[in-house]
Amino acid sequence: MRYNRWFTPWVLVIPALAWLMVFNLWPSINTVILSFTNARPIGGGTFVGLRNFERLLHDDQLRWALLNSVIYMVVCLPFLTILPLLLAVLVEKKLPGITFFRTAFYTPVVASAVVVALIWQWILDDRGLVNGLAEKLGVISGPLPFLSDQWLLLLSAISLTIWKGLGYYMIIYLAALGNVGRDLHEAAAVDGAGPCRRFVHITIPGVRGTMILISILISVSALRVFSELFILSGGKGGPGGRDNSVVMLIQQYSQGFEGNLGYASALSIVLFFVTVVPMLVLARLNRRGAEA
Amino acid sequence: MRRRRLAPVAALAAAALTLAGCGLGSDGSGSSAATPTVDANAKVTGEVSFQTWALKPKFTSYVENLIKEFEAKYPGTHVTWLDQPGDGYDKKVLSQASAGQLPDVVNLPPDFALPLAKQQMLLDVGAADPKIKDEYVEGGVQAYQYQGLNGTFGYPWYLNTDIDYWNATKFAAAGLDVKNPPKTFDELLAAAKVMHDKTGGKEYLMSRLPGIGDFTNAGVKILSDDGKKFVFNTPEAAALLDKYRDAYKAGYLPRDILTQEYLGNSKLFTQGKVAWTTGGGNAIQDFVKDNPSLKGKVVPSPALDTPPLYVQGLSVSAKTKNQAAAIALARFVTNAENQAAFAKIVNIFPSTKASAQDPYFSKSDGTPESDAKVLAFESLAKAKVLTPPIISGATNDFIGQQISLAISGKISSQKALDAAVAKANELLTQ
Repeated sequence: MRYNRWFTPWVLVIPALAWLMVFNLWPSINTVILSFTNARPIGGGTFVGLRNFERLLHDDQLRWALLNSVIYMVVCLPFLTILPLLLAVLVEKKLPGITFFRTAFYTPVVASAVVVALIWQWILDDRGLVNGLAEKLGVISGPLPFLSDQWLLLLSAISLTIWKGLGYYMIIYLAALGNVGRDLHEAAAVDGAGPCRRFVHITIPGVRGTMILISILISVSALRVFSELFILSGGKGGPGGRDNSVVMLIQQYSQGFEGNLGYASALSIVLFFVTVVPMLVLARLNRRGAEA
Repeated sequence: MRRRRLAPVAALAAAALTLAGCGLGSDGSGSSAATPTVDANAKVTGEVSFQTWALKPKFTSYVENLIKEFEAKYPGTHVTWLDQPGDGYDKKVLSQASAGQLPDVVNLPPDFALPLAKQQMLLDVGAADPKIKDEYVEGGVQAYQYQGLNGTFGYPWYLNTDIDYWNATKFAAAGLDVKNPPKTFDELLAAAKVMHDKTGGKEYLMSRLPGIGDFTNAGVKILSDDGKKFVFNTPEAAALLDKYRDAYKAGYLPRDILTQEYLGNSKLFTQGKVAWTTGGGNAIQDFVKDNPSLKGKVVPSPALDTPPLYVQGLSVSAKTKNQAAAIALARFVTNAENQAAFAKIVNIFPSTKASAQDPYFSKSDGTPESDAKVLAFESLAKAKVLTPPIISGATNDFIGQQISLAISGKISSQKALDAAVAKANELLTQ
């Protein structure tokens, strides 16, 4: 029996290819087509040319959502790239009881985003844990509006994302740290390099590829944030809808019997390009760094 | 060689485009007409499907008995009962409608029925059954008649409304008389100030953002006469928002209301955090079930101004292959006798005129629970649908967002209303 016929590779990739076409390619093409229509969930729609994209240019909500997404990415990127690495370096050491800390740091990752956000909502509420404690201790005279002020709400959601993401990226860094040669650290130590120097000159270059990967993952997920902002704002996008993310807008426009699938598709296309740009920039930086 | 490579790509693109074209669906509804084409007196026989919303398992035996009685009354009929879970019912109906698979008789509230009626997916039951106006209460029937559409697109099944509930303990703590609660919005604001001042800002009376229903109650016109434009950006509506904004600024409302979901008011009342909420005629049982410490402390009173009318109804699919049986089933389920029986096992009110004199709904046994039920029943006589069913989804969200901006003081009330109307009109006409 011969397995090396010309079609053998095709047979092997057909299941994956079919999956991609049905669940990726086809919905993507359909989204592009819908973005030029005024389609509704029932009753179909008609071709409207670039009208949906013209509307995007004058949409205040989209401007706020894009600003929120960019702030989300700019704040999350450094915190979630550096902090998990520091944590990974800490828990990498083989000390008694270290497994407990590894597990503790990973726990928020296992918890459902919705459950975590609900707990945070309770913590940050006007009568919640943080305001209650701060008022009891006399630090503040009235509750801080974590959930009703536009910027504090955004900051709360960012903090939640960082807290939840730490454990996940820590695990990725832990795997990467295993590949950094111990002999390099020993040699540097013999040459008199302290822990900080070894971290900067050995650990960071050793996990550079992983850092780039993590940066890309963080950028993409920060730009596509949904659960944290949705739950903390009670699904309403905060005061005046100014704490919406682009994904929340897509959800709002496409929901219900009167959903505007055309405009929601146009928003999806904007989100796609907004997400792809930082990914390409980071990938380019990675290539340049590798060539240098 | 290049051609060879391009060929499959082109074929793929063509296939994808063809498939994508399907995503648009048809411009029409797939239904030729919404007017019944069979005689309402035609023989009732054959199969008919019946969809309810979250009645299993609590009311399984009631519905099963109803079906048995219908099948006995009309020999040769067979009813297939489908019950959908409470969550995601709109999505379920939407998927059934887009697939052209709406059950013959389907439970739809007026706001679900409107987009289906617009697409001619529902039967004009008023044309099939001219007696509908004589047998059902006016508000119930009107809920299924829409501006710009001719016809009645559902049999009103059951009704509900809201009355006010007050926390007696909190009223006493603030020196307010719970037996003489606020009767108008201005009295409510005054009482909120007293509660705030007397408790050093620790207790709240109000915890609700205004909505379209409050504008209607303030005499503001929501839609133009032809139903094609929103027109609620009036000085009266702005004045109402100003009152809320001032109350919010003075600390009479909890700050969380700007992020709370609709039921926040009722939840906060149940948790004992605020002293006023609105709720249906059976709300006391729910408050006490969730927070037993409220037992004996909740006092009901009629709703401020015009009470809202909530309607549930049964619509008939325009695509049904058995119109006579479908109409007969919808009529049978919603007739006075069956509605009254249903209203005695769950706290809802019948939508038939014949039930108006039923002492079960109109006589109280003296307990606050029973008083509340009677108050709600009496309120139905003047209750109105305060929020037009055309307001849903993104429109509702955007109006809510502009209202919260105005309440938070970030923009003026008039500017918020202008923005809300402009956006709502844009969403309406697109």
